[in-house]
Amino acid sequence: MKTLKWLNPVLAIILTLTLAACGGNTNTAGSADAAGKGNNSSAPVADSGLKDDTTPVKIQYWHAHGDAQIEGLNKMIEAFQAKYPHITVEPVFQGGYDDLHKKLQAAVAAGDVPAVTNVEVASLPNFADSGVFADLTPWINRDEVDTNDFAKGMLQAYAYNGKQFGFPLIVSTSVFVYNKTLLDQLGVQPPQTWDEIEAFNEKVTERKDGKTTRYAFAVPGWDTWYYDPWLINGGGQILNEEGQAAVDTPESLRYVQNFQKWIKDGSMQMGYGKGASDNMRQMFLGGQIAMVEHTSAMLKTYRENASFEVGVSFLPGDKTRTSNIGGAGIVIMDGASDLEKEAAWKFVQFMTAAENNIGWAESVGYLPTRKSALETEEGKAYFGRWPQYKAVFDNFDNVTPRLQHPAYPEFSSVYKEVIGEMVLNQADPAQLMPEAAKKMNEILEDYE
Amino acid sequence: MMMNSNSQSQSAQLIRETTAKADVSPYTSKKYLQWIEKAKDFMFAVPALIFLGVFLYYPLMNSVYISFTNWNMTKPVKKFVGTENYVKLFKNEDLYQSLKVTLHYTLLDVVLTLTIGLMLALLFNVFRSKMYAVMRGIIFMPHYISMVIAAMVFTWIYNGQYGLLNRVTDLMGFEPIQWLTNPSTALPALVAVSVWKGVGFAMMLFISGMRGIPNEYYEAAAIDGASGLSRFRYITLPLLSPMTLFLVITTFISSMQVFQSIDIMTNGGPLQATNAIVYWIYTMAFTEFKTGRASALVMILFVIILVLTIIQWLVSRKQVHYEG
Repeated sequence: MKTLKWLNPVLAIILTLTLAACGGNTNTAGSADAAGKGNNSSAPVADSGLKDDTTPVKIQYWHAHGDAQIEGLNKMIEAFQAKYPHITVEPVFQGGYDDLHKKLQAAVAAGDVPAVTNVEVASLPNFADSGVFADLTPWINRDEVDTNDFAKGMLQAYAYNGKQFGFPLIVSTSVFVYNKTLLDQLGVQPPQTWDEIEAFNEKVTERKDGKTTRYAFAVPGWDTWYYDPWLINGGGQILNEEGQAAVDTPESLRYVQNFQKWIKDGSMQMGYGKGASDNMRQMFLGGQIAMVEHTSAMLKTYRENASFEVGVSFLPGDKTRTSNIGGAGIVIMDGASDLEKEAAWKFVQFMTAAENNIGWAESVGYLPTRKSALETEEGKAYFGRWPQYKAVFDNFDNVTPRLQHPAYPEFSSVYKEVIGEMVLNQADPAQLMPEAAKKMNEILEDYE
Repeated sequence: MMMNSNSQSQSAQLIRETTAKADVSPYTSKKYLQWIEKAKDFMFAVPALIFLGVFLYYPLMNSVYISFTNWNMTKPVKKFVGTENYVKLFKNEDLYQSLKVTLHYTLLDVVLTLTIGLMLALLFNVFRSKMYAVMRGIIFMPHYISMVIAAMVFTWIYNGQYGLLNRVTDLMGFEPIQWLTNPSTALPALVAVSVWKGVGFAMMLFISGMRGIPNEYYEAAAIDGASGLSRFRYITLPLLSPMTLFLVITTFISSMQVFQSIDIMTNGGPLQATNAIVYWIYTMAFTEFKTGRASALVMILFVIILVLTIIQWLVSRKQVHYEG
């Protein structure tokens, strides 16, 4: 033991240094906070001196665009750089939304952020709450951007606490994709209201020896995004006016009790967990499901792979008839330098501009976001090629933002699990929901 | 002359004194030399210590601190909240579910990896046979496959619709099983991947342990007429115990920290059936943005692993036989 005596002072020194380093870190974080506050309190009109500045600047664009969207993205960046030769945009693919968010988090913690990035719509509040994104309002005011031209719900989805943090970039919404060939043969129309669903099930479902061989329709159980609109349309609420969980009220339970009934009688298919999405797609393409609720971004895939004609119908309504916005927006990181932010703003404007809107939407397979774009010749030609989207645009104003709450990603998993219990273990959701609501309220306590 | 001899004797005196002093001088004393040696030893360790300090000790200390704050990685300030994170975790029933899953997984993984590994070692411990060497190599191979790749391959094998495994069950006349989306089969399915990857390594260690056992014991036992089974029971098993202890502790620690296979194959689902503690820490920190709470959970996991490892070590002191 004697030989190790010298170790003690050395360890003590290491420990002291470590603690000192901890302290140092807190200090720098504090000063970064002060700087951040300084930025926030700046005038609502952005520095116009920078507007015509042509100092060469390079910005990074972190994105989650998959392979199918890259070609369209590269074209946009090329056109952008031709318009602003002093700006170089470096696109960096960061994986899916989850991976992108994790990397953003790490980038913020490290204090080395990209100038402009994608953010998935449900995660915006959490980031915005921490002051990570720049408020676009000063630039919107300076350059007099007509934000009314955006579809209202889509724009709102990227505002939080009265500040516009981003613009919608790749917007999707959940729709019913149906086997038009089959439904025409059977002489049925997709249901437009909840009342019509049971008659639809009656005609479309096929059973053999008590087992379903063809389901009338499917609602995905693996993501709350697909049934939040059902909950709302049934007259329910996820959180009530006091900000408490309301998933267990009779109105909020209507949709899930219907689901339970339809799953039991074998007319509705609901998948849960990993691989359920592939499974549902295969079953639809194989004719085992006549109609599936899925994201509009999948429409291209369905149209290309189906051996039958594909139709699109808006979600059926009851008390209301809405569908939620999905996909991602484009935002500017507050931690970037002023010069980078100016370049980022020009890029954001370009990517979401009305004149590029149709071309961009078609190349990536997402929805156009600009009302004026739909009226142009290009817009009309687009609908000629994609008649399916008409169902969505007839309900343009019913495509609403999701519930905006920093804890949404966390508490939504609680009532998602009730759906899982129903699908996997045939549990009664009405019995489990009150417990789920209690758990949600415990989570919400952390955010008060 | 007088003066000369005087100065001579003086200088002789001086030399004597200095030599006498030298024995206690701080620069040549034994103690000093030993200290120099130790300092030298220490200098060799410095590069490693700096590395560990930056990448291990500092993050470690910092996460202890973070566990007492409500930081979410993006907030500029870390607000101190005392023990709130710990209190809320202990009140959360998910913690107990997650611990149950983790221990269940660990138990299955350790027992199966070691038993199968030992049986394979008995089977393949054959000298001078190229065939057996090749087969050992084949069994050991999965050890080199990255868990991420293995998990992706197995996700496909386990697929409920068109997976390889269900083709087999189909041929045998069973209904297709949703291996990864059924709460009761998901965890065993994950354990199977880990065992498949781990048995080769366990087998190799057991074989090397067996070859370290002197043949005299077996010869003596054979002369005494001991059966094969009792030779295994009274010679092989006890003398393998140091190797077994090593494998138990390493497999235990790594399976307590199971993560990659869950992340790729099940995402902690279905219905939290595979929500092992490290995966839960990850989702808490990076999906729910609760870095402070997640750090508190890390501390809890640290204490649990520490305690269980100490228990294993204490038990093993009585049970493990070191030869010679």
